[in-house]
Amino acid sequence: MAREISTGRKAVITTVAWAVALLIFFPILWTVLTSFKTEGEAVNSHPAFLFFDWTLENYHAVNERSDYLAHFWNSVVISLGSTLAGLIIAVPAAWAMAFVPGKHTKDLLMWMLSTKMLPAVGVLVPLYLLARDTGLLDTRTGLVIVLTMVNLPIIVWMLYTYFKEIPAEILEAARMDGATLSSEILYVLTPMAVPGIASTLLLNVILAWNESFWTLNLSAANAAPLTAFIASYSSPEGLFYAKLSAASTMAIAPILILGWFSQKQLVRGLTFGAVK
Amino acid sequence: MATQASRTAGRLMLSPAVILLLLWMIVPLGMTIYFSFLRFNLLMPGTEAFTGFENYSYFFTDPAFWPALVNTLVLVTGVLAITVGGGIALAVLLDQPMWGQGLVRVLVIAPFFVMPSVSALVWKNMLMNPVNGLFAALARGLGLPPIDFFADIPLASIIVIVAWQWLPFATLILFTAMQSLDREQMEAAEMDGAGPLWRFVHLTLPHLTRAMTVVVLIQTIFLLSVFAEILVTTNGGPGTASTTLTFLVYMQSMLQFDVGLGSAGGIVAVLLANIVAIFLMRMIGKNLEA
Repeated sequence: MAREISTGRKAVITTVAWAVALLIFFPILWTVLTSFKTEGEAVNSHPAFLFFDWTLENYHAVNERSDYLAHFWNSVVISLGSTLAGLIIAVPAAWAMAFVPGKHTKDLLMWMLSTKMLPAVGVLVPLYLLARDTGLLDTRTGLVIVLTMVNLPIIVWMLYTYFKEIPAEILEAARMDGATLSSEILYVLTPMAVPGIASTLLLNVILAWNESFWTLNLSAANAAPLTAFIASYSSPEGLFYAKLSAASTMAIAPILILGWFSQKQLVRGLTFGAVK
Repeated sequence: MATQASRTAGRLMLSPAVILLLLWMIVPLGMTIYFSFLRFNLLMPGTEAFTGFENYSYFFTDPAFWPALVNTLVLVTGVLAITVGGGIALAVLLDQPMWGQGLVRVLVIAPFFVMPSVSALVWKNMLMNPVNGLFAALARGLGLPPIDFFADIPLASIIVIVAWQWLPFATLILFTAMQSLDREQMEAAEMDGAGPLWRFVHLTLPHLTRAMTVVVLIQTIFLLSVFAEILVTTNGGPGTASTTLTFLVYMQSMLQFDVGLGSAGGIVAVLLANIVAIFLMRMIGKNLEA
């Protein structure tokens, strides 16, 4: 039964909600706006909000620095690479736990989760030394390996919660109808699993794209993704606000758009099914 | 029913993930524990020697240790207070009927997707800079002296930045939990003449307890590892004013190359995180039974 809500009350709530939302969003909005200003306009002591001479020169300037694209590409390779590697390892594992659960499945899941609770700084030194001694320091391969392992527990957990929702009876039914194992997997299970796998992929690309402990500590000039590249703007280039804004806008835009599509998965993936 | 064959197949499918995670956990952690008992500095190769608990006593007596521990606790509790309090308020607000609710939610959630180095730089330079920042311009407009955020209140400034990043997470989780609130019970209470405050305290808050606990525990795990925000804004300073445990270990091992000391600090951080982890694991485990 829906309650009758007066239009006046709704208008007030709408106004308050929009005001709060815009306040929270403001730093991002301000960054995007500043990226279209000239450097002089960006540090104007009477900052203009919308009425300034819009320019694309900062984007040209940032793109002309070939290193920006190289770091952007590093981010793409590292986040996609580590997510795909994680999925290849995790899909069979989550599959087995969801459909052939054993006595210790629950313990195993909890143990996998516990590895995620290990603070990164507790293994910083050995991983740095291992990477250095194996020649993986400041390489994309090294970062892909580390981020795969960092996010593997989350990937397994998310996939497990999705696979768990596929009713086992469907498999039985397909078997009754004489489906072979391969056709069962191909025509029955895969279509039902694809949405869950896609959501897991989405959330993990976002997490890997923004990961800022290992990418900052294990990369220098060559493999640095955008997290490390932008951090290097802290001085003295950070004083060029408009270019910093343009670089920042390009670094966050793809993930912001992906993120808005993944709100629901975010809750599921980061609370390990504890909140639904 | 699972057959013997499918069970064997299941084990085969599980083993890569299990073996890799086992290696991932045991090898580096074992090395950290081992290093923590060694005199081991990368600048002085060849001088490694077993020293027992010397690194731990150095770590605990380091003049930066207590400030770092206190800063860590202040950072975590500060961010938690802001995000949980703000998250509840926002969840209640978003739950009301309004126009454009979807868009409002999109705007509120956005900060979570901004990479830490970008949010740190944007806040540091464009908002909080005492000369060219927007806050300084606003202060001047009001005739007030601008605040030099990272020199005068470094830790509080970092708390604001980190809270801004995590507020969307808390809001999203609490808002999701709000969806399962019993609306009929709410309406019944309203008909019985219960005011909005009574309903909030006696119905909404108890319903959100579980989600609040999850938010607190998960955020604590991540907040204990806050790194980029400090590196980009204050580098732990001035002095030790914004040095956390994570940052202290980073400085000792990556800047002073004292592997032994850094490892001892790393183990202390692991123990600290474990206290939180035990509670979190218990909650998640309970849910798994259901």
